[in-house]
Amino acid sequence: MDPFLGWIESSALASWVRGETIGTEFVFPVIVTLHTIGMGFLAGGSAAIDLRILGVAPSIPLKPMRRFLPVLWLAFAVNAVSGFLLLSAYPTKALTNPVFYIKVCLIALAVWLVYRVTAVVLRAPDVDQKPVDAKAKVLAAASLASWVALITAGRLLAYTHKWEMLGIPSLT
Amino acid sequence: MEMAAWEAFIRSTALHVFVRTYEPWLWPLCETLHYLGLSLLLGTVGLFDLRILGFAKSIPPEAIHRLIPWGIGGYVVNILTGILFFVGHPDQYFYNDAFRFKVAFMALAGINVLVFYSAAFREVHALPAGADAPLRAKVITGISLGSWVAVLICGRLLTFFRPPFFH
Repeated sequence: MDPFLGWIESSALASWVRGETIGTEFVFPVIVTLHTIGMGFLAGGSAAIDLRILGVAPSIPLKPMRRFLPVLWLAFAVNAVSGFLLLSAYPTKALTNPVFYIKVCLIALAVWLVYRVTAVVLRAPDVDQKPVDAKAKVLAAASLASWVALITAGRLLAYTHKWEMLGIPSLT
Repeated sequence: MEMAAWEAFIRSTALHVFVRTYEPWLWPLCETLHYLGLSLLLGTVGLFDLRILGFAKSIPPEAIHRLIPWGIGGYVVNILTGILFFVGHPDQYFYNDAFRFKVAFMALAGINVLVFYSAAFREVHALPAGADAPLRAKVITGISLGSWVAVLICGRLLTFFRPPFFH
């Protein structure tokens, strides 16, 4: 095992997240659950905005959709914190799995697309005065696709870490 | 624990055999679809509920309500994948307190949908942009948001409350 990952894995924080002390068994389920709630609001809320841009429910004015962004960014904050805690609990399991790196790239892409959709589409001063243009639709479609890929990668983490146990070479 | 007749019946069905035969790839696939479905449900119904609760009031409720069919689509995906999970491992769900709470919150959410459409939808549907929703509608949508999140919580906790046996 990598000494740095081993040091993280043996830290008190990691042990607390794993619920190894009597009375802290709830910690891991709570963090995993928060991570899923955050995913639902962030991916789902962003997807709803994307669907509107792609032509679903066209009577929704786009400009006020910005008002939902604090909810999305709060969900992202919850998932960033819970994600780092989960990573600290099982760093070797995550960091030796190629799918984890794919997931990290997809997080960067999906979150960047939330920012771009906001900046380019929702914040355009004449957004509700003209039809949605092709660039906006490309951004929305890319955002939707990135959420599907990100959720898929995240879910597959629970299965693919076994590759290492099966003797399939890992990255570190 | 002895296997009950209903469980023996489920295990005798072709669907059970199908799930168990293809479990190595079918289970991760259905879990992924289940997560996509819940995101779609929470994203669309959640934004509608938040509008009624006072977010983004310049969106007319009637307009944002048009996202709801996509939430229903997500719900249907989750019912179908949920049936596959249950039929594949009936004991792991039936004898699981988290699953029982999940079904209870699904029933609450379902009854609340009926209450919303019979007692609040008409007045909410007529609200123009900028209008605040009446308190009754806010209470119902608050229950909606809370019960769907509770369904998610119980679902995510299922794995930590599995019964201590396998049939």
